[in-house]
Amino acid sequence: MSNYVERFSTSERILHWIVTCSFFILFLSGLGLYSRLFNGYFNLFGGGQNAILIHKAAGVLFFFTSLNMFLNHKKDVSTFDEDDKQWIEQRGGYLSRDETHFNIGKYNPGQKLFAIFIAVATLILGITGLFIWMPTFFPRWIVQLSLMLHGLMFAGSVMFVVMHIYLATIGNPGTIEAMLYGNIPKSWARKHHPKWYKEVTGESP
Amino acid sequence: MADTINEATRKGFLVDTSRCIGCRSCQVACKQWNKLDADKTSNKGTFENPRDLTPDLYNRVRFVEKETSGEVTWRFLNERCMQCGDAGCMKVCPSPGALFRTKDGIVSYNKEKCISCKYCVSACPFNIPRYDANDKVSKCNLCQSRVEGGMTPACAKACPTEALKFGNRNDLIAKAKSAKKVIYGENVLNGLGVAYALEGPPEQYGLPANPSIPMSIFLWKDVIKPLGILGFWGSIGAMMLHYITIGPKKLEDDTTGKEADHE
Ligand code: HEM
Ligand code: SF4
Ligand code: SF4
Ligand code: SF4
Repeated sequence: MSNYVERFSTSERILHWIVTCSFFILFLSGLGLYSRLFNGYFNLFGGGQNAILIHKAAGVLFFFTSLNMFLNHKKDVSTFDEDDKQWIEQRGGYLSRDETHFNIGKYNPGQKLFAIFIAVATLILGITGLFIWMPTFFPRWIVQLSLMLHGLMFAGSVMFVVMHIYLATIGNPGTIEAMLYGNIPKSWARKHHPKWYKEVTGESP
Repeated sequence: MADTINEATRKGFLVDTSRCIGCRSCQVACKQWNKLDADKTSNKGTFENPRDLTPDLYNRVRFVEKETSGEVTWRFLNERCMQCGDAGCMKVCPSPGALFRTKDGIVSYNKEKCISCKYCVSACPFNIPRYDANDKVSKCNLCQSRVEGGMTPACAKACPTEALKFGNRNDLIAKAKSAKKVIYGENVLNGLGVAYALEGPPEQYGLPANPSIPMSIFLWKDVIKPLGILGFWGSIGAMMLHYITIGPKKLEDDTTGKEADHE
């Protein structure tokens, strides 16, 4: 019997890493546009005008892949049950050193909220991005509002992604293997997602 | 931003609308001096021509038709970059040196440094900047090179009625005030480099009564931008703090009471 269970298929993993790459390209090429303090980051792309070009291309890629990723696991991330409620009440046990046990399915409520936030942010960033792309074709107030919302969602998603990276790597050792290799040790699944473990293996956690 | 203006030596215009006869000499003179192409125009049933600023038209005479007791009268307004003391365009420009303040207090620009983001037009209270065929910023720079060479801007020189007066901004405004003119732009936005003497309320000329940098632009640059930078470092700090205080959720914690899986 294998020590591992499959968590993400190859296509799911490829999609996640395309989203991640395009996100970081957007982040780096957007920094100089966000503030003159970060003007030096334009040099990574050979100047501001190229940075804008690459930002637009990466934006289109991110928009479609990120929404695709959300639609793929919409079913798993958009419903919250009683066990999730308990997780939320105790903040997933992240605020204490005590050992906690939650009966969690494929994703915990924090992950679900992250996935929903990223989907909403993707939509807003994409739509406002289009207005900023061609400011002279739209009423001034729409472009002005878009510039503000684009900055807000940019800053917001960067903060959530910082948290996401922490929790997916050193915050929960072993988790990254799911996104790298697709399979995850059963001990990890039993600890973090017992309900899901039972669903996919039929064994009680 | 090193955006300081020496008010004592600040240069500017005073546009006396009562003197303007709508001859458009200023439009033509600007095009000649700045070697700008003619714009394709269309006849829309008014004498106003062209109907808007373009990348090749840095100033134009706005014709405002006014009907009082059956009689049609005209108001003429020379529309151009106002050379704001607090310039929205400079506030949002991400490319240092693309838009800059000269020692005379002029908001000038360098097309070479412009990265074509087109943020400036959205932040301008007067909807002034336009973008040329290469998507580079274009607008009136108050004839920066002429002014620095001690000359009068081309449009003011061409004006036959002295409706466009160029000079030391403080002097121009003081003189107009002593002549009991109603001044537009003396103090708003830290003073407009191009101030007007109007004969009626600003709205009649299509000017905003209280011009200001748009609210969403203010929120973007003065609230969200600094808070976002703080939030970024805050989130990294919070994660580091979590790691060293509460610590990660180690897998071994859970396997203690249980049989480890063996193949
Ligand atoms: C270096 C950067 C990143 C790493 C190391 C990383 C790692 C991971 C891992 C290990 C998982 C699986 C979690 C599990 O098995 O429960 C995951 C899921 C996910 N990742 Fe990432 N990720 C990164 C960047 C991003 C970015 C930039 C985005 C989106 C903007 C993103 C969006 C997601 C989403 C939506 C999921 C689904 C589960 C959830 O909602 O948390 N990831 N990531
Ligand atoms: S279009 Fe050019 S001048 Fe205008 S804000 Fe962008 S870089 Fe600056
Ligand atoms: S009128 Fe517009 S373009 Fe001119 S200085 Fe003011 S904000 Fe800038
Ligand atoms: S000051 Fe110079 S650039 Fe500006 S409108 Fe007059 S002629 Fe044109």
